[in-house]
Amino acid sequence: MYMSIPLYGFLEGDTLGLLMLAEEGETVLQLARKLQDAANIRVPHSDNVDFLYDGKAIDPGLTVVQAGLQALDRFDVIRRHTL
Amino acid sequence: MLNREEWLPLARKLDWDYTYVREDEVFPQVISGHPWLPHAEWKDWEESFKTSYREYVDNQYEKDMAVYAVRDAIGRLENIQKLAAPWLNSLKVHAAALPLAEFTGVIGSLRGARFGRDSAWRTMSTFGALDEYRHTQIPLLLFHPLVRWDSQFDWAHKFYHTNNWFAVAARHFFDELTTGQNAIEFAIGTNFVLETGFTNLQFVGLASLARESSDHMFERMVTSIQTDEARHAQIGHPVLEVMMKHDPEYVQYLLDKWFWRSWRMFSILTGLSTDYLTALEQRPYSFKEFMEEWIIDQYLRTLDEFGLKKPWYWDIFEDELNIYHHAIYASAYTYRATLWFDFVIPSPAERKWLRQKYPKYWDDMDAVWEQVAERWRTVGPGAANELAVHGSAMPTFCDLCQLPLSAGTPRKNTANVLTKDGRKYIFCSAPCRWIFLREPERYANHKDLVKRVLSGEAPAHLPDLLTEYFRLTPDTWGKDVYHGAYEWLATKKASVA
Repeated sequence: MYMSIPLYGFLEGDTLGLLMLAEEGETVLQLARKLQDAANIRVPHSDNVDFLYDGKAIDPGLTVVQAGLQALDRFDVIRRHTL
Repeated sequence: MLNREEWLPLARKLDWDYTYVREDEVFPQVISGHPWLPHAEWKDWEESFKTSYREYVDNQYEKDMAVYAVRDAIGRLENIQKLAAPWLNSLKVHAAALPLAEFTGVIGSLRGARFGRDSAWRTMSTFGALDEYRHTQIPLLLFHPLVRWDSQFDWAHKFYHTNNWFAVAARHFFDELTTGQNAIEFAIGTNFVLETGFTNLQFVGLASLARESSDHMFERMVTSIQTDEARHAQIGHPVLEVMMKHDPEYVQYLLDKWFWRSWRMFSILTGLSTDYLTALEQRPYSFKEFMEEWIIDQYLRTLDEFGLKKPWYWDIFEDELNIYHHAIYASAYTYRATLWFDFVIPSPAERKWLRQKYPKYWDDMDAVWEQVAERWRTVGPGAANELAVHGSAMPTFCDLCQLPLSAGTPRKNTANVLTKDGRKYIFCSAPCRWIFLREPERYANHKDLVKRVLSGEAPAHLPDLLTEYFRLTPDTWGKDVYHGAYEWLATKKASVA
């Protein structure tokens, strides 16, 4: 059974951070989509995004646990052209 | 019989040497404040404007009668109902945030009245406490009766007794600044920084906005309060003068801390009113322009006068003038049901004005408003669609200021995580982190709203959070003033470039 991990998510273009409950087994790409959906009232959806943790781009296929994310960490989702 | 000039100095300077107790027992450092110095160091404490109790009562009586007269002449419901709807919501913000914050000022001033280190200081603080009590009563007198017409005005009494997120932040600020503070830090944080520096925002800036908005009752109220503030704010200067001789580094720290904390609070209280809740044609200036003219210039001159430096974070502060309150307003609009007042979307003309006033980051903010407007276009206007144009994920908050993590810019939010003693904290900005690390024992055990939700102390489900924890109801929680029915929004895509 997967545990939920509370994380601080920041989407580029948004005006505030959001609390995201990530499942251990979900990929960081899925988590990025979840943040985009949650912020969609303020920021249009974009397909070309990168997931940053600790300032580094993370392989979108990695799970949250494989990426090393721990409770109350910060992650960022940014538009790819800004890399 | 002595004349005034002869007896007043005798009455206001009434200190003596203690023989049965030590001075540090009468004035313990923990409540009198740091640096602890013998009275000999404080004996020249001198306020610039001197008054007697009789003069004080006579003056206050006249001022109170003037407020009553204004209320009777122009404070009737029909007068209030003529005010523009967005401005009414600025009143609701202040009706809630002001009165009980002023009451905490009573407590802080009374601490000065007992534990201030010179009798003249204690006398001035006694007058200050009476002032703050007046500042509690006046807004309650003027605003709370409006609850019969609009239940959101109930928050004039209710606000600080709730766990609404902004009430949590305001309590965190005022509890530290006033209720739980020693006499010296109160004199520096409240009298010097907040009352000398920032209340101009309220009492000059806001009074002028009220005048432009034809709200003469509110204008008269804040002007009346300002005359008290100007008197008791002078407590700060002579306290600072003595401290500068003994511990200038501590003075610099207290000023830097309280300037930042005050900025956070007032950027929301005044920034939102100035740039969003006042009708465009009634805005005499932008919030940034007002800050630059009335706050920054005066504050920097005062620092220079005392040989103090600009706060180390000055560049961050100046940059925030361009963006912070805009990010907060857009965030709050999309979480308006979490607050007790209503919001408006800036129109194309207002967005054009905001772009002119805030060119540095407005592109980013404009994109946010375009997206919000697009959502209204999609779902259509109407009260029933309010929650379709509203956030549903849990917002996040700073572990120091307790305000949303909205600092930096939309492109680069400056929130930063700290792990300390096995616990994680997050701060909206470098100055909030710095303040926390200077006094971690003071702040570490306070739970922000996210940690209250995660620990089960507050409900995680948003509707339950609003009703059970924030004490809002569907009638009182914030909405769009026009429920999305903007003429400009219905006709075509806004063109604001």
